[in-house]
Amino acid sequence: QEMAVTGKVSEEGGGEVAGVNVVVKGTNRGTTTNDKGEFSIQAEKGKVLIFSFIGYNSKEVTINASILDVSLTPEATALNEVVVTALGIKKEKKALGYAVSEIKGEELTVARTPNMANSLAGKVAGLNITGTATGPAGSTRITLRGNGSISGNNQPLIVVDGIPINNENLGQAGMWGGADQGDGISSLNPDEIENISVLKGATAAALYGSRASNGAILVTTKGGKMEKGIGLEVNSNYLAEDLLIKEFKDYQYEYGMGNNGLKPTTVNEALTSNSWGTRLDGSNVIQFDGVSRPYSAQRDNLSKFYQIGSTFTNSVAFSGAAATSTYRFSMNNMDNKGVMPNNTLHRNNFALNVNSNLGKKLSILTNIKYVYEKTKNRPRLSDSPGNANYAIYSLASSMDVETFRDTKYDAAGNEKVWSDNVYVTNPYFAAYDFQNNDQKNRVIGAIEPKFDILDWLFVKGRIGIDYFNYRYRAIEPYGTAYKVLGSYTSNQREFMERNMDLMLGIDKKFGDKFGFNLLLGGNQMRNVNRLTNLGGNNFNIPFFYDISNIDPAARTSSENYIERRINSLYGSGEFSFNNYLFVTATARNDWFSTLASGYNSILYPSVGASFVVSEAIQMPAAINYFKVRSSWAQAGGATDPYKLLLTYALSGAHNGAPLAQINNTEIPNSLLQPLTSTTFEAGLEARLFNNRLSADIAYYSRKTTNDIVNATVSYTSGYNAAVFNVGEISNKGIELLLNFEALRKNSFTWNASFNMAYNKSEVINLYNDLQTLRVDENRTRTAYVHQDVGLPYSQVKGFDFKRDDQGRVVYDAQGYPLQGNLMSYGSGVSPWTLGFTNSFRYKGVGLSFLVDGKFGGKIFSGTNALGYRRGNLEETLPGRDGGLIGEGVNENGEANTVRVEAQPYYDRIANNIATPFVYSSDFIKLRQVIIDYAIPSKYLGSKSPFKAISVSLTGRNLWIIHKKTPNIDPESNYNNSNAQGLEFYSAPPTRSMGVNLNLKF
Amino acid sequence: CTKDFEEVNVNPNAPAIVPLDYLLSQSALLLAGSAGDPGYKSWRANFIYAGCIMQQMASVEVGFYRGTVYTFQGDLSAAYFESSYPNSIKNLVNLIDLASKDAKDVNVLSMARILRVVETSFLTDLYGDVPYSEAGKGFISKINSPKYDPQQAIYMDMLKELDEASKAFNPASYKPTTADFVYGGDLDKWKRGANSLMLRIAMRMQKADATNAQAWAKKAIDAGIMASNDDSFTIKMDKTGAGNNSNANSWNLGAGRKIADGNNIQWAKTFIDMMKARKDPRLPVVAALKNGDRSVDKQIGIPSGTDATTLTSLPEKNLDNYSRAAPNMYVLSNPYFIMTYAESQLLKAEAIERGWATGDAKAAFEAGQVAAILQLNAYGGTLTDADAKAYSAANPYPSGTLDAKLEAIQTENWLINGSVLNHMEAWADWRRTGFPKLVPVNYPGNETNGQIPRRLRYPQSEVGVNENITEAITRQGGDTFMTKIWWDK
Repeated sequence: QEMAVTGKVSEEGGGEVAGVNVVVKGTNRGTTTNDKGEFSIQAEKGKVLIFSFIGYNSKEVTINASILDVSLTPEATALNEVVVTALGIKKEKKALGYAVSEIKGEELTVARTPNMANSLAGKVAGLNITGTATGPAGSTRITLRGNGSISGNNQPLIVVDGIPINNENLGQAGMWGGADQGDGISSLNPDEIENISVLKGATAAALYGSRASNGAILVTTKGGKMEKGIGLEVNSNYLAEDLLIKEFKDYQYEYGMGNNGLKPTTVNEALTSNSWGTRLDGSNVIQFDGVSRPYSAQRDNLSKFYQIGSTFTNSVAFSGAAATSTYRFSMNNMDNKGVMPNNTLHRNNFALNVNSNLGKKLSILTNIKYVYEKTKNRPRLSDSPGNANYAIYSLASSMDVETFRDTKYDAAGNEKVWSDNVYVTNPYFAAYDFQNNDQKNRVIGAIEPKFDILDWLFVKGRIGIDYFNYRYRAIEPYGTAYKVLGSYTSNQREFMERNMDLMLGIDKKFGDKFGFNLLLGGNQMRNVNRLTNLGGNNFNIPFFYDISNIDPAARTSSENYIERRINSLYGSGEFSFNNYLFVTATARNDWFSTLASGYNSILYPSVGASFVVSEAIQMPAAINYFKVRSSWAQAGGATDPYKLLLTYALSGAHNGAPLAQINNTEIPNSLLQPLTSTTFEAGLEARLFNNRLSADIAYYSRKTTNDIVNATVSYTSGYNAAVFNVGEISNKGIELLLNFEALRKNSFTWNASFNMAYNKSEVINLYNDLQTLRVDENRTRTAYVHQDVGLPYSQVKGFDFKRDDQGRVVYDAQGYPLQGNLMSYGSGVSPWTLGFTNSFRYKGVGLSFLVDGKFGGKIFSGTNALGYRRGNLEETLPGRDGGLIGEGVNENGEANTVRVEAQPYYDRIANNIATPFVYSSDFIKLRQVIIDYAIPSKYLGSKSPFKAISVSLTGRNLWIIHKKTPNIDPESNYNNSNAQGLEFYSAPPTRSMGVNLNLKF
Repeated sequence: CTKDFEEVNVNPNAPAIVPLDYLLSQSALLLAGSAGDPGYKSWRANFIYAGCIMQQMASVEVGFYRGTVYTFQGDLSAAYFESSYPNSIKNLVNLIDLASKDAKDVNVLSMARILRVVETSFLTDLYGDVPYSEAGKGFISKINSPKYDPQQAIYMDMLKELDEASKAFNPASYKPTTADFVYGGDLDKWKRGANSLMLRIAMRMQKADATNAQAWAKKAIDAGIMASNDDSFTIKMDKTGAGNNSNANSWNLGAGRKIADGNNIQWAKTFIDMMKARKDPRLPVVAALKNGDRSVDKQIGIPSGTDATTLTSLPEKNLDNYSRAAPNMYVLSNPYFIMTYAESQLLKAEAIERGWATGDAKAAFEAGQVAAILQLNAYGGTLTDADAKAYSAANPYPSGTLDAKLEAIQTENWLINGSVLNHMEAWADWRRTGFPKLVPVNYPGNETNGQIPRRLRYPQSEVGVNENITEAITRQGGDTFMTKIWWDK
């Protein structure tokens, strides 16, 4: 019997709530509450009404009267909040002795970035995301609570639905150039993600073993729900991407192309990218192609060359239930066009989740994902060959980039040489003639049967596979100025990692007060890479690009098979008392195939406790919830395969004689031991003032001992690096998360969330009495990254000016500054990170913005150093007319009085001294703005096929509010290696704006 | 189930043991700078610096060919050092270690020891004090930061090595043949080659330690130096175009980088003028204009220190009309010259003049002249004995002072090393003798106050990685282009 049901919705212990969706369960019929929180709806007695509203826990109420007053509890107050922890075990958050942060799937889909990992930036205290400036399909560096290892992996383990996935970089730029070939996390489909659980310490990850010694990020994808009919969800997203910095604000546009203060008068003189010419006067001046053009400032080269990027993403998902199973199937299509011309990325994701209950005791969870990715022309970075960015950043002030488009080839169809350095490739030639294409087919799947032997005893198995096949083909074209006959590279990589787990679980209560659960298990991990490489220099027939066109004797080919295994046993026990005291202990033993027997086993334990004070004792009324927690944990780690022995590489033959040389570029070490990372953490969680303020504070101390290091050693040792166990690195820090409900009045809410982390790292000691270790070097050869005993991780180092006792710069007899000592400028990793989100909501409309920042780090800009050498920077203006006298003293301590020409003066500095190009990498960015609107269900009408429609507008990386680096984005590392703090001709930073439409049927 | 772990951790694609011949052959190619990054050190050390400093080569692109104007750029100056140690030195040191384990490998061992001396002599002549006794031993002796040996000690040890190695050759033991790219297993040639290198190294010490120079020069000549152009110490190349197999100089000038085929680098005016003045029949072999014209009267070299701007004030403004290495000079299979028979004769002439050896200095000089001319046939010349004799007649051995004789001898040395593209050797000779007389250039911003550089600067990368460099810099009195190394004092 239908009747009118009316009522009022209010917040528990608070005022009425407007805009609450009220739906009759199992139907499309629904309404929303008005300004006074009132609603009215037609429904049968005995049916169930669902009340839902963002920020509150949904509530289901059975209709037993015509007047129904309902109170909703704000989401944050959910005392029994459940989070996903290691091995996919869901636990009540209050039972955890360590910090866990969760990110909901919507947060990733609404404010989307082409690269999912970047959208985590600023959202979790202690989670440091460094997007390498490498475009949309590039990789990201993710670290939790600082860097524990000097040269080993510092990134957390990425686990998708219980399966560790490969997140390694498939190639990145180094000192001599290269391209970022992307990583594993970037290929996940944000629409599939239910939530992400960030386990920050070794504590949280003890059960994942060695590879989670830097924490773990657990991604749980959406599954089906027990609901009637087939749920259909459609999401469409469009993003436009544009340069964030469109003009070189700190370049000079007063003097034009040329050398030694002269305008070019011949083609030979015009073969330069230097801006050491005369004052720009608009006269016609000859250029590299013999054509004369006005000698005037060209400020728009960035916007002329780069284009507006765009990303279309469409996804469809079906979900539902059939008999005893629930399922969800989703498809996703993404097409991306980069800001770099001719750079595209195409991706398809398919995912199927099925959870079947086969009888009462047996259930099987199956999920499988297939990803297809195709990338065209990933931009080259860092050093100049084939790097369009390099050329754009290096153009003389009077050179119009479009000239290069019009005069790309010489008469023979080769790249027309345009400067005195053939290694600086014409940007259009780099973008359109070079090829750098790859395709990846990836399958991630798991089957997880669980058998409940008793209601407190179960056995669970899991077999998970991450497999991909990756093909990469790169062409340096015939006619490339620096490699006239071109080159061919074709790689195929097959990757497989298989994890098999078997677990026995006990979950038992003893009386009302005591609870006990135990998990015992074993894991076998097998990780295999098969690589086939084919290539060679010198094409015979011009412009035909196939391996058959390389002289057979000049072809190179190689195969690599790389396997590693880890066997593990683990156990975890948890005791609870009265639901307010929890103690958890874990232990795991790993055996590594990559270490020698006798050194290859490590046992590491953890123990943690949580005490919910507010449940145990009566607290003042202002405190709604108060928990303290503490834990101690260890994790072990190993290294890559084949680092123990010296081997040889067979490298073809010469005049009939086979050739071989030492294969290792790192000094092998058969005595390597596992590294150990030990973390102590203590924290508290509190909710105060009627749950309006919640805080989570953590202190941690993390120590890595016996770290396995690939340390740069002197070339003269014959090797680039040595592998050994070194001393100790310490990371200590605090993390703070505050959520504040600033305002809740009528239908308006304002929530603020602030997170902050400070990590103090220190290299305590190195190998024997070694005081410093080199990690990387900038292409300018004047700046480096080191680990120095007693200093924070990743020191940016470089050559200073030579100085006398009073710190005055010392000049040689010819008036040029001399190179001084190698000095440390500070850490390339910012110790302070923070994020501040404000969300406003009025009825169905929401606005939120995120501001984030990092502070305390340093970066060396190689781009600016060479800008100096080329006379492109504003700072190179002094001395253009009549030279300059450097301020300082000569080698006899007298004031320097020698006047020198500007060009050699700045050239000398750029080639010898790093100090002028080291900057603070502090920044504050407006990272994200979202406006969203959910059409209230009352407007959809009861006949509508839609259950929900929401639209959002988003902007990412909209504004660098504060930075100290001229010309470059302080977040411009060219790779995501451990050498943080070096910049060299990265892809330019971009901002994106988009619109997202979500339909639920 | 960890039983098979050790098996799993064995690299299936890289053997742990290979025949020593394989290592010998690869080491020679690494020394010649072809394997790995072909031409890396040849381009930077041999052409950009040594060739241009010696005014044999020149380029108007002075921002890149910095040797033309004596300016510094870290990776250019460091190239030889940074490429040698992780490649040829590492593999030679390892090969010496392996070959010394069994007496039957003595011939391989001796070849490796001699090759290591060759590479070390290039290194120390370019930089001065360098890691030697501890170099390349990162694995063998776990030395990560080798000490820098004083050049004097390096020289004494190189001489000892040549002496011991050449004497140790044993015809009854195993001889590598196809794997020996220097002499194809001819042990007598190896001995004469080693003795000639000994003579070169001994003569290099002439200013710094005349006593030892004399003793070792005599020892070398007595033991028997090269006897003909067939004995010249070269590394034989192939023409496949593969980076591994090509002559590194050819790869740079031609197929790989096309620096001569473009307008990157040309012959310097000093070099061309010298050849013209001496009616050198090698001129049409080594030089051609862009259009291929080899006629002698058309050949002109670029004055050192000319940049694109000053080029416009020269009578000839078109770079195409300047001489550059002719295409036959950069055939990929051209042998890579370490030391010519001609040079050994010229050094012998000097030794005789100094009274360090007996014999006819004039005859040795003339034998050197003739050999030098005919040597160019290895680079595609068709020069005859008659050409050689005519040249010798036109440029007779002077009578008079030792200096005058020395100038004649070293001018020949400068020409032969220039024409077989061994500019690094030419630079070392010039530093010791001051001949031929070169007029330095004084370009804005040069690092030498307008003087010809005396060495290259160490890699900046060593600072902060190998603290031993500090001692070496102090010992030598700075790390500049003008710091004189031990034998140059």
